[in-house]
Amino acid sequence: MAERVVLCIGTKKGAFVADAPRSRGRFSLRGPFGPGVSVYSTLIDTRGQPRLYASSCNAFFGMKMLRSTDLGKSFKETKSAPAFAKDDGRALANVWALEAGTGKKDLFAGVEPAALFHSDDAGDSWQKVSGISDHDHARAWRPGNGGLCLHTIVRDGKRMHLGISTGGHYLSEDGGATFSASNGGIGAAWSPVSYPEFGQCVHKIAGHEQAPGRLYMQNHGGDPKLPGIGVLRSDDHGRTWRSIAKGLPSDFGFPIAVHPDDPDTVYVVPLEGTTRTCPGGSPGVWRSENGGGSWTKLAHGLPKKQSYFTVLRDAMTVDAVRSPALYFGTTTGQLWIGRDGGERWECLFDSLPPINCVKVGLA
Amino acid sequence: MACVATITISVSSPLRDFCGAQSEIHVGAATLRDALHEVERIEPKLHRAICDETGRVRRHVNLFVNELHMSEREGLDTVLASGDVVTILPAVSGG
Repeated sequence: MAERVVLCIGTKKGAFVADAPRSRGRFSLRGPFGPGVSVYSTLIDTRGQPRLYASSCNAFFGMKMLRSTDLGKSFKETKSAPAFAKDDGRALANVWALEAGTGKKDLFAGVEPAALFHSDDAGDSWQKVSGISDHDHARAWRPGNGGLCLHTIVRDGKRMHLGISTGGHYLSEDGGATFSASNGGIGAAWSPVSYPEFGQCVHKIAGHEQAPGRLYMQNHGGDPKLPGIGVLRSDDHGRTWRSIAKGLPSDFGFPIAVHPDDPDTVYVVPLEGTTRTCPGGSPGVWRSENGGGSWTKLAHGLPKKQSYFTVLRDAMTVDAVRSPALYFGTTTGQLWIGRDGGERWECLFDSLPPINCVKVGLA
Repeated sequence: MACVATITISVSSPLRDFCGAQSEIHVGAATLRDALHEVERIEPKLHRAICDETGRVRRHVNLFVNELHMSEREGLDTVLASGDVVTILPAVSGG
C-alpha cells in the first residue's frame, strides 16, 4: 500500500514537492526545482516506478522537461522537451498539460501553441501527434488571454478528450489518430456565433473511470448574454453538453474536479467573470453531490471576506485516500487542503510563489 | 562572397549550462547567421536556448557583435571579421 501523499506544485518560480503520511497530518516541503522558472504543468505517474514530471518554461531560453525518480527529492532534465520541426513554422511557448499514456513510459504533453506531443520513453523524446496538432481547424484557433494552449487531456480507453483554449473540445475515438470538434451545447459568449462548431474557450474537462460517458466541463462563462454556459455536463462521451450551473454564484471559473469514488460528486471554484477573483471576496469550493443538480458552498476555514485570489485551471485536485482531501493553490501563493472532501479547510503553505498547478498522488 | 572569419562567441553565465560551462566558443563564420548555424552544429542545446524551432532569435536574448547590438548592424546578415566577438546576453528582467 502506498505510504505517502505526494503533492507536486507548479509555481511561477519553479516546482515544489510536498509530502505527508496517509493521515495527511503534517506536510513537508521541498524545492524550488527549476528555480526561478515558471512551471505550468506537473504529473505524478505512479504506474510503475513513481516518476514526477514538471515542465519548466524559461521565458529567456525555452523549454525543459524535468523528471524525478526519487519522489521529488531531486529533478533532472530529460534528454529533450517537446519541440516543433523546423519547417512547421510554430515555436513552442509552453507546456500546459502532462498526462500518462497507455504504456508505463507513455506520456502526452499539451502545449502552446495548441498541439499535442507523445513520448514513449518517459519524456526523453517527443513526437508531435498530427491528428490534432495539424488538424484542419488548427490554424483557425485563436489565443485567449492565457495564450493558445492545449491544456486538458482526458483519456478513456481508445477515446481521448482534449481541451483547447480557444479551440474547444476535441474528441478522438481511435486512440488519438484522428480528432473531431465536439462542442454541441458549448457556448462562446464573446464570439459573434454563440454556439460555433469550434473555437470555444474551454477551461477544464474532468471525467471519471466509473462513468466513462460522463464528463464535466468548466467553460468560459460569466457573461449574462449566455448565462449558465460556464459549467457543463455531457452524458454521451462529450458529443453534447448541457448546463449544470444553476445554483452557483458565478458560472465563471477555471478548475473542475470529480470525487475519486463517486462520479456524481463534482467540485468547482466560482470566480467573478470580470475580475477572475472570489465572488464578494469570499472564496469557496462548491460541491455538487448529484451530478450538478444542486450545489453547496464548502468554505469552513477559508477566509470569509477580503480575499481576492484566483485558482487557475490545474490548481485544484483531489486525492484518492479514504475520505479524500481536496487541494487548491492560489495566485497569491497559498496552498489549501480541504479535509473530509472539502468540509474543513486549512492552509498548508501560505507564502509560495503564485501557483499554476497542483497534482496529488500516492506513493 | 564574404570570407569565413574566425570569431569568438562569448557565452554569458546563464547560458553556460547549455554548453558544458564553456565561457567562449570559437567558430568560423562569414556572417552572424552562419555563426548561429555553427553553434547549432557543435552545441545544439545552446542554439536552442538562443533560437526557437523556427530559427528566430528568442525575444529575450540579445546578440552583440563587438559592442553593437545586431539590430544596430545588419541583423543576422552582419558580416563578421576575424577577431570579432559575438556576445550572447539575456535581456535584463525586473519587476
